Amino acid sequence: MRFLFLMTLCLFAVSHAEARPVSYPGGWTSMITNNGDRNALHVHYSPTAKMSVGLRSEYWRDDDTVINAVQVNNLLKRWNEEESQANIYLKSGIGAASRDDDVDPAVFTGIAMDWENRRFFTSYENRYTKAGDLKDFYMQSARVGIAPYIGDYGDLHTWAMLEVDHSPQGEDHFTVTPMVRFFKDVHLVEAGVSNRGDVLFNWVIRY
Amino acid sequence: MKHILLTLSALCLLGVPAVASAQETEAEQSVAVEESVVPETAGDIHVKVKGLVCDFCARALEKVFSKQEAVSDIDVNLDTKIITINLNEGRTIDDATITQLITDSGYNVEGIHRAE
Repeated sequence: MRFLFLMTLCLFAVSHAEARPVSYPGGWTSMITNNGDRNALHVHYSPTAKMSVGLRSEYWRDDDTVINAVQVNNLLKRWNEEESQANIYLKSGIGAASRDDDVDPAVFTGIAMDWENRRFFTSYENRYTKAGDLKDFYMQSARVGIAPYIGDYGDLHTWAMLEVDHSPQGEDHFTVTPMVRFFKDVHLVEAGVSNRGDVLFNWVIRY
Repeated sequence: MKHILLTLSALCLLGVPAVASAQETEAEQSVAVEESVVPETAGDIHVKVKGLVCDFCARALEKVFSKQEAVSDIDVNLDTKIITINLNEGRTIDDATITQLITDSGYNVEGIHRAE
């Protein structure tokens, strides 16, 4: 099961960043996210700049559970300022969770918010997931970032970021992950290692 | 693990003086921008946009305007937050359409200037 999931990730090899879960009208985004707890693939289409709909697939390695869902992201509020932008999103999904021969319906929902200018970045998001007897958990994470230099449009943009994940049901409630983000053209790549020694690798493509 | 954490901490600390120098540079640039905010090139349209903070934003506007038959290409300046719309010969695009396209893309128009 795990091998098949990883193969699927490799085959699609495209993805999108959760901090911006809605693209421009007619835009597609794909995102692969990998951390100590899960591997996930999310591909979505934005008919408008206020919502996106797509497919999400997650593999939770601690209990060998896979969740496949249709995910809808809504931009609830955006603040466009001269030098900054802030957003609040609602992200929800419905689908199925499976482990061995067990299959249960799965739903999840959460709020994501971010603020950024060209120098600083900060974000927060949470999510509650319920999948019958297979999954029932809440998690939240926050991130801060700084760009050591400000590049022009089309340049390679670099960010140093720190993410804190909180999973009340987990063995280690808090995970801290320093990482670097590279951003060039339609690609956004993030890589880091958590205080638990787990590798984080995210790859987003917007097209 | 310690080495990675130390390296990233150093990277963050190194960014602090860079912030200060960049802010000075930006301040100098802003004066220059005010003086030459709209270069006068016949046929060009210059639009000041709010919320333009990253390449994804700029690319979104490029994609949206590239679908317009009247538009040959656009240039996005993230420093000044001004997009320059270059038109195909003999074509035009009105302010209402420009505003609508930018608003529908998720950004706000602060002003539109057309070169004489």
